[in-house]
Amino acid sequence: MRLMTGLLIALGVIVLIVVILLVWAIATYNRLVRLRNQVESSWAQIDVQLKRRHSLIPNLVETVKGYAAHERGTLEAVINARNMAVQVGSAGPAQQAEVEGVLTQALGRLFALAEAYPNLKANENFIALQNELGNTENKIAYARQFYNSAIQTLNNAAQSFPTNLIAGMAGVHPRPYFEAVGAERDDVNVRF
Amino acid sequence: MHFDPAILAEVALGAGGVAIWFAVYGVALFLTRPADVQPAPSTQDFGGEEPPAVVSLLTNRWEITEDAAESTLLDLAARRHLEFRQPANDPMQTTIHIRDAAVTGLNPYESMIFERVKGLAVNGMVPLTALTFRDENQASRFASRLHAAIVDDARARGLSRRRFSTPLVSALAAAGLIPALAISAAIALDMVRRHKFAEDWTGAGIAALFVWAIFSGIAGKKRGERDTALGQQVASRWLGLQSYLRGDESFANLPPSAVAVWDRYLSYGDAVGATRVCSAVIDLGMGNRKRVWSHFGGAWHRVKVRYPRFWRRYGQKAVPLFVKAILALAFSILVYKGSNRLPTFSNTVSGYVGLAVGLLFLSPLFYGIYTLVFAIIDVATPVKITGEVLWTEVWKSSGGGENSPPRPWLYHFAVDSGGVHAGGMGRGGGSSAHDDRTVAWGCPSQIVHRASVGDVVTLTARRWTRRILTLEIVERGRERALAAATASASPATAEDTGNIVLSAFGGGHPAGAFAAQALAVALQTPEIAPTQLMSVEEVGRAIGVPVVADGRRPAAVGPISVEAYLSANGGRRLILASVATGTAADLAMRMRRRFQPLPGIGDEAFAGENWAIGRRGRNVVMLQLHGDAKRIDPRNVYWLLSTAVSRLP
Repeated sequence: MRLMTGLLIALGVIVLIVVILLVWAIATYNRLVRLRNQVESSWAQIDVQLKRRHSLIPNLVETVKGYAAHERGTLEAVINARNMAVQVGSAGPAQQAEVEGVLTQALGRLFALAEAYPNLKANENFIALQNELGNTENKIAYARQFYNSAIQTLNNAAQSFPTNLIAGMAGVHPRPYFEAVGAERDDVNVRF
Repeated sequence: MHFDPAILAEVALGAGGVAIWFAVYGVALFLTRPADVQPAPSTQDFGGEEPPAVVSLLTNRWEITEDAAESTLLDLAARRHLEFRQPANDPMQTTIHIRDAAVTGLNPYESMIFERVKGLAVNGMVPLTALTFRDENQASRFASRLHAAIVDDARARGLSRRRFSTPLVSALAAAGLIPALAISAAIALDMVRRHKFAEDWTGAGIAALFVWAIFSGIAGKKRGERDTALGQQVASRWLGLQSYLRGDESFANLPPSAVAVWDRYLSYGDAVGATRVCSAVIDLGMGNRKRVWSHFGGAWHRVKVRYPRFWRRYGQKAVPLFVKAILALAFSILVYKGSNRLPTFSNTVSGYVGLAVGLLFLSPLFYGIYTLVFAIIDVATPVKITGEVLWTEVWKSSGGGENSPPRPWLYHFAVDSGGVHAGGMGRGGGSSAHDDRTVAWGCPSQIVHRASVGDVVTLTARRWTRRILTLEIVERGRERALAAATASASPATAEDTGNIVLSAFGGGHPAGAFAAQALAVALQTPEIAPTQLMSVEEVGRAIGVPVVADGRRPAAVGPISVEAYLSANGGRRLILASVATGTAADLAMRMRRRFQPLPGIGDEAFAGENWAIGRRGRNVVMLQLHGDAKRIDPRNVYWLLSTAVSRLP
């Protein structure tokens, strides 16, 4: 009788531990799914802004052509960078960040070029496109912050013990950040 | 004792009337509650151009929470008017730095927050946690004005409206006649039942009026805000952002200083309730009484305040202490005389008992000597200290009875003297600001109101009893000046003063008018009539047509005297002139300070659409244009107002 009672207690303790582990595993899995969805959602926000940026560039190039058609090299560099960015659209953050960096640099050269053409600078269409691109760049910057913040939270969860056990079973792996490249990463010159 | 069942019927009649009214009121509350808002899809985009405080109102079901003030503060930092710096890991150590002291273009509630920071800043800096208030009244007034300004802005944008509209309040006030008449009828029936007949119905009439006034007052009481169609749309968009931000776990943990990176996302995140750390750290309400910020000595530091309570000597006058000491000594002497010998000790059980009893009888002797010696030292060596008042609160009160509330006679009065005479617990010898400590003094109620928190005072006090003897103000505190400035500069809405003044000046609903008249009569009577300030010739000159004063118009409503000026040929009202004095005048001015100022007229003057108001001293003149007078050159109205105000005493 005493043995039976002892066995029952042991069984009860084991069942309790299993239940607790199960509840923890479900909660952890659900959290990981939530974090992964947040990453997807944040990436979708970046994607929207990048597409918006890509769609503005042809109009910008056409406008600049009207005043500086002979600056073929700069214009083609922008178009090529833009096409490249559109092509690698679904290749992932690392590659996307790289080609977007190239595009940013090409656009920078285009706007620098515009400084030499007063009529172009005064063109309303050009000004509007420039402002729109500026706004989009800002939104991309914020979207990148949100994305990287979501990535950090996901990676912390996926790499910490014991959450990493559940993450491994659920196929949730650490993901790369959407990092600034090229000119965006350059040191800021401070002049007094 | 004989019980008359008719009493039940009378009570049921009165209670039934009251129940009907409350049922109607409940239905009104139910029908006017803000509707649920369907959130837009989760998005990173802002929902519009609304300031964070208004967003906070919309996303909190048209209720203003502490998020409104917090998010406004963060927004000022996001817009680079302020800067948050966090020197270490703890967000509580964040300091606020003013980047642009002469900022323009802020709306009224943003100005209030900015001015509070600016007013408290020492060398352009104030610790974030020092923004809390140390005076409950000041905190309450600040919150009330801030809320009113936010509601004003939301209404002006068409996003919010008063929960109980004027027609609804009027209807509820009219419905107040039901319980009034029911109770009046119950009283009348009771009178008839008791006396078989009744000739004087005055009691029932007065009861009816009284009950009606109460229910009208309840109907007119502020019930908050509710949604509008546009407000629903805008709130829906902002809830989309809320949904997105709440999905980001790390966003909730961002400290206030992260605003440098996250810009307005952080302020809007706070507004929609998606931040946790920011909400926990920023506090514009009442502060912690035991850890109070002080800037005595020129730099902000936090002072730990201890509030002594245990010993009965604290706060006592010297004479009662001397009396107690002498009585204790006298008692000891009497005991000694009575026993005729000091206790002796023998190593037996009865010896120990005898020793215990003897010591018990000796304790008054020790107490008497101790109290007498320390009271003499206390009286002979008062200390004089100068410091900043950190906190005041009631310490001891005389016990009240059923009909008399307890009366405070001693207050805790915490002063930061920079470590001098801080009750033997000075700055602890450390260099860290965290070592600042002080012990509150006991301040008699007769002198405590001389100083406010933030004032620098010199006080004379007795250390042992911690009783303050004299109190002089060396320098008025910036908090007092700040509160006064806020009171005069901040706008007021119809919510806090309108029911009184709008009605008294010719607008508002019946309940408000009733309350206004009751209050007005209670306050004072008018001293100046408008005809004393401007003649009919002068009014006619300003309007461009001959006018006459309306003799039929009642000359006074409480402290407000009113006169209508009519066209001489048609008798149509052209100008309604009012002169108010005292509290009603103050309230009238407060309501209109957000309108166009008219410099050079009296102490202050403002104008709006078809009205102008001016103040000189405690008197206010208001002109309201009617009919054809609305088309005259506003400069003529300003001239007329200037003439009238210049004649005020």
